[in-house]
Amino acid sequence: MILLISAAELYSQSGAQDDLFSPNNRLKFANHLYAEKDYLRAIGEYKEFLKSADNDTARFRFANSFLRIGRFDEAAQNFKILFIGSKLEEEAKLFYYQSLFFSKDFNAFQTNYDSRFNFPQKYSLTLDRLNSATYFLSKTNLPSGNVLIKPFDDSLQTKLIYYYLMMKNPPKKNSVTAALLSVAIPGAGKVYTGELTDGLIAFGATLLSGFLAVNNFQHDHNFRGWLFTGLTAFFYGGSIYGSAASAQIYNARLQFNLDSEIKLFFEERNYFLPKIDL
Amino acid sequence: MFRIRKYFVLLGIFCLQSNYAQSTVETQLAWADKLFASNQYFDAITEYKRVLFFDEQNKLITRVNFRIAECYKAGAHFYEAIKYFALVEKNSLNDSILIEAKLEIIRCNILRKTTERALQLCSEIERDERFYSKRDEINYWRGWAFMFADDWESASKIFAETPANKELKLLCNQVIDAKVSVTFATVISYILPGAGQIYSGKILSGLMSFAWNLAAGYFTVNAFVANRAFDGIVIGELVWLRFYRGNIENAKTFALEKNLEVSNKALKFLQNEYRGLKP
Repeated sequence: MILLISAAELYSQSGAQDDLFSPNNRLKFANHLYAEKDYLRAIGEYKEFLKSADNDTARFRFANSFLRIGRFDEAAQNFKILFIGSKLEEEAKLFYYQSLFFSKDFNAFQTNYDSRFNFPQKYSLTLDRLNSATYFLSKTNLPSGNVLIKPFDDSLQTKLIYYYLMMKNPPKKNSVTAALLSVAIPGAGKVYTGELTDGLIAFGATLLSGFLAVNNFQHDHNFRGWLFTGLTAFFYGGSIYGSAASAQIYNARLQFNLDSEIKLFFEERNYFLPKIDL
Repeated sequence: MFRIRKYFVLLGIFCLQSNYAQSTVETQLAWADKLFASNQYFDAITEYKRVLFFDEQNKLITRVNFRIAECYKAGAHFYEAIKYFALVEKNSLNDSILIEAKLEIIRCNILRKTTERALQLCSEIERDERFYSKRDEINYWRGWAFMFADDWESASKIFAETPANKELKLLCNQVIDAKVSVTFATVISYILPGAGQIYSGKILSGLMSFAWNLAAGYFTVNAFVANRAFDGIVIGELVWLRFYRGNIENAKTFALEKNLEVSNKALKFLQNEYRGLKP
């Protein structure tokens, strides 16, 4: 009996470390961390587990942990491992595309999408939507509107068509036109870009200082005449430059608002991704 | 006889298993403690979480949660720290652990500058008769909460209540004395341009401001005296008022900057040189 207890004591001391770190226990602990959303620590545990054993769910969660913490390249690489002969092949393929999508490497996504092979039917609509989203978010190489909005529900198509048209032909203001308008009538360029108050102030200031310049010259106040002439030139030049700048600001604001609106549209709907708990 | 021996053997196996499991967890806890002691907080949290996960008897739950919270606090992850201190609070078996967790939550709130919450928790503990003996400590943390909120007057009053906090009271008073009044700086700048800047310690800026205002004022008055009303209005509006308004704004900004500098210096002293208990 004494021998038995002594052996137990000795065994517990020496084997203690090993047991908690057995592959099975590592997996249990990793799953616990994953469920707790402590992805960074879960990665460490899954990594150690996968050194000694292979398990599709563990590999999937390992990759998904990378995805959740924004390490998209590692996520994509690990999802790729599950592409062949895995029971989670379909989900892995979808999540692989998600990794590419969230890494914001839209070109890589589109290239992969175009050359996709054997993609599961179950998630093909989700992938089509993600693909459309890449064009809406990157705004480059836009295909035809029908192709882009086809994967979405009818209720959303009006909005998406609007975004598409705004992207294709944004109602931008031309900075040269704005400047030329201000050359003709000071402040007119600002009115053209929607800055009505600024335009009227520019017009009033130029007119007033011009009048004061002329008036002072007429009354032989030459110094003040030149002073207001300089001021008139300053207001006039400022109005022209300001109009051109105002057009650029208008265009930048237009672009920014559109980008934000499109981003919000997809974010609010979680990019139309299905809820997959694995 | 044989039957008795068999029972002994079974008992032995049972002891072996339970002893082994618990000892494994405790060995791991010792390792986690070692990591904690060597400031490797990320790894320490991992190992503490492992201990927590494998501690089937939940014997270590309070101790380990407390340690995890301390690790998060050390890494300035106050939200997570409070979450784990709250777990300690929930699972505490006696009042001493309970109050310790509560005070730690207050300290985290002080550090993340959620002063209102820290003060609210102080009041809650103060009302609890079980913690009557902790009133001085609660007041101590209340004072710290005020210091972190830049309310040195309130902090000084709180520290004055306990003779042991004399050093902190003196520090608060020094800060109060060193600070300047933003309202006073603004008002004297209305009366005498540049005075507010000089009061806030920016002598050169104050003198420059005074000179600009004097010159602009002279030209404005001179224009009106010479019946050049238009010139007077233009110089007065575009030049003098610009410097006059600038002087008032500057006085306010400099006073605020000076106060911030004084507060930061005091907080730096508390962080690096103060030897007493810190949040």
